[in-house]
Amino acid sequence: MFGGSKVKLDKDLLDRCKKHAEEAGYSSVEEFITYALEKELRKVEKRSRDGEEEITKRLKGLGYIE
Amino acid sequence: MKDDNKVSMLKIAFFVIGLTFLIAAGGCTENKGSAEATTKKVLVLGFDGMDPKILKNLVEEGKLPNFELLMEIGDFKPLATSIPPQSPVAWANFITGMNPGGHGLFDFIHRDPNTMIPYLSTTKTESADKTISIGSWIIPLSSGKVTLLRQGSAFWEYLGKKGIPTTIFRVPANFPPAQADMQIYQLSGMGTPDIQGTYGTFSYYTDEELDDQDEDISGGKVFPVRVEASKFQAKLFGPKNTLQKDNPQTFVDFTVFVDPENAVAKVMLPGRQIMLKQGEWSDWVKVDFEIIPFLQSVSGIARFYLKEVRPNFKMYVTPVNIDPSSPALPISTPEDYSEELAREIGPFYTQGIPEDSKALSENVLDDGEFLQQANIVLGEELKMFDYELSRFKSGLLFFYFGRTDQLAHMFWRTMDPNHPAYDPTSKYRGLIEQTYIEMDGVLGKALKKLDEHTTLIVISDHGFAPFYRAFNLNTWLKNEGYASLTDESEGNLFLNVDWGKTQAYGAGFNGLYLNLSEREKQGIVQPWEKEVLLEEISKKLLAIRDPKTGEQVISRVYKADEVYNGPYVKDAPDLLVGYNSGYRASWETVLGKFPKELLRDNTEKWSGDHLMEAELVPGILLSNKEIKSEHPALYDIAPTILAEFGIPKGEGMIGNDVFTVLNIGRSR
Repeated sequence: MFGGSKVKLDKDLLDRCKKHAEEAGYSSVEEFITYALEKELRKVEKRSRDGEEEITKRLKGLGYIE
Repeated sequence: MKDDNKVSMLKIAFFVIGLTFLIAAGGCTENKGSAEATTKKVLVLGFDGMDPKILKNLVEEGKLPNFELLMEIGDFKPLATSIPPQSPVAWANFITGMNPGGHGLFDFIHRDPNTMIPYLSTTKTESADKTISIGSWIIPLSSGKVTLLRQGSAFWEYLGKKGIPTTIFRVPANFPPAQADMQIYQLSGMGTPDIQGTYGTFSYYTDEELDDQDEDISGGKVFPVRVEASKFQAKLFGPKNTLQKDNPQTFVDFTVFVDPENAVAKVMLPGRQIMLKQGEWSDWVKVDFEIIPFLQSVSGIARFYLKEVRPNFKMYVTPVNIDPSSPALPISTPEDYSEELAREIGPFYTQGIPEDSKALSENVLDDGEFLQQANIVLGEELKMFDYELSRFKSGLLFFYFGRTDQLAHMFWRTMDPNHPAYDPTSKYRGLIEQTYIEMDGVLGKALKKLDEHTTLIVISDHGFAPFYRAFNLNTWLKNEGYASLTDESEGNLFLNVDWGKTQAYGAGFNGLYLNLSEREKQGIVQPWEKEVLLEEISKKLLAIRDPKTGEQVISRVYKADEVYNGPYVKDAPDLLVGYNSGYRASWETVLGKFPKELLRDNTEKWSGDHLMEAELVPGILLSNKEIKSEHPALYDIAPTILAEFGIPKGEGMIGNDVFTVLNIGRSR
């Protein structure tokens, strides 16, 4: 969690994150940013991993689809 | 050691396989009074995809003596198919006596208007929504469900209420079979998955050097192996274990010993070993996949085919089928009917479409090997037919064969010189004809059962046509400005569609949908724009000409509200595209892809099809009684069968008894 690289953020964006993190009760802005990204990734990954490959494979199992 | 009672109790509470299901306790619903002993018999044979033109030609050539006899003593007319002419749609018309507006199946493939994700239309699976986690285990607190999405009542529900003994054998679009009255026997057919929850995923073990793309095949999985010291180890995969976090796929380890001199191999599975010569098929092998160690496992069956030993090792394993003697999913009513059949004839294919056309398409099996596999299927079906026919004393027996459809799909190219994949040297050019002859034999057995109390009805769900050219409907929509993409790629599953700028899209084989503001989550077409847009698109579709041949690609476009009746019209594609003979939607467009080209040759082995304009591919109707109706249709058969037993047609049925009602002037 504490490894990885630094990421540059636009100052306005960072300020918005800080504001929300404070208001919502996160222990730090990092915690909020990490949470928000993970949430987004889960959505995307679910659709593309769980979703796309499996959906396509299942649909392609139909003889009509090559 | 497994305790069978414990296992079946646990089955009810815990078992899930990738799909999940609900088992209702008990088999009976209401007791409808004593089953009246009736001597009336109605025998219905369903030959999927049997074509009236081919049938007529072969009869005229003297090759089908039983069809010829039935045409003489009885009657024969083409049978209008469904719009669109796809098996689940057509058979649903047969089952309910309605059209898709009444039963809700418009295509093999529907899409969710919220997520735009395509899905197989006949069955829905839902995981248990209440679960608790214990370590790495997820225990469902409520059952998951697998639901048949076909709406409306099946005609045999009316027979059940009257206590008429009924057997519905492998009719498509009937998985899972609905709970029924006691004397309704059903075995599910097309739509029934394999143990992995797919339409049939075979396994292929080989040490042949394959390119990356050869390893990624549809309908199956390739397992590269390396034979060292005359053996190798491999895995046979089963269902996902949804009781475990991350739902790992279950599997069974096995070892193959390859004889260093002879073309022989030994497959060692847990508790079982199989010796195979090159070119030999094993019998059905029971395979148990562990879900909970020592407590719960899922039973499947598979067959092994040793294709080659050297220079390369090649072994094909059938999709692991649900074991009929211990079914993991509800495939029959009563629940033990599949077990009864297995006791009678041995284990058998339970997957909905057992002929492994994917293995042939991917060249894992060649033409001859595919035919061997299809013959295994036919052998089982004939045994079951003999069994059912021998005990058919009263009521209704419906029996289905899918062979005519699958073999026409795969072998059209052997008999049609115009086909891009035509092979003039093929020794299988007589195969489609041979299939009709085999069905003639089946009919012969049925004719022997005819007496003065029996009505015989022979139907098919649609006919056949060549599939020469594949059309990318979605690409056309994009080119014409009706659809917009976020990037230049081909995409998949509509993932790169810019919905804010898209008015129309194609999904499924014959469906064209508008992106409606009142229906699609990201819809932009307003209600007042709909009719004008449909009119405009229809006109343009009919005007498309194939630059290669100059032919009309689409010969008919139907509006859903003009051809469908019933409560589900609102869910239908806005337009149904009727392709001209020779043309069909490409598989890419079906799955929401946008390839660059508009049309391309179909060079696949899957060379015949029927996903065209309905009027071009009618099915067949024969009977030992005179068919009075001038234009009989699939949805007439349900009221016809009910009328045979003196039962009025059910509510919502749109057809009529073909033996008494003329239907003069009916256009569809």
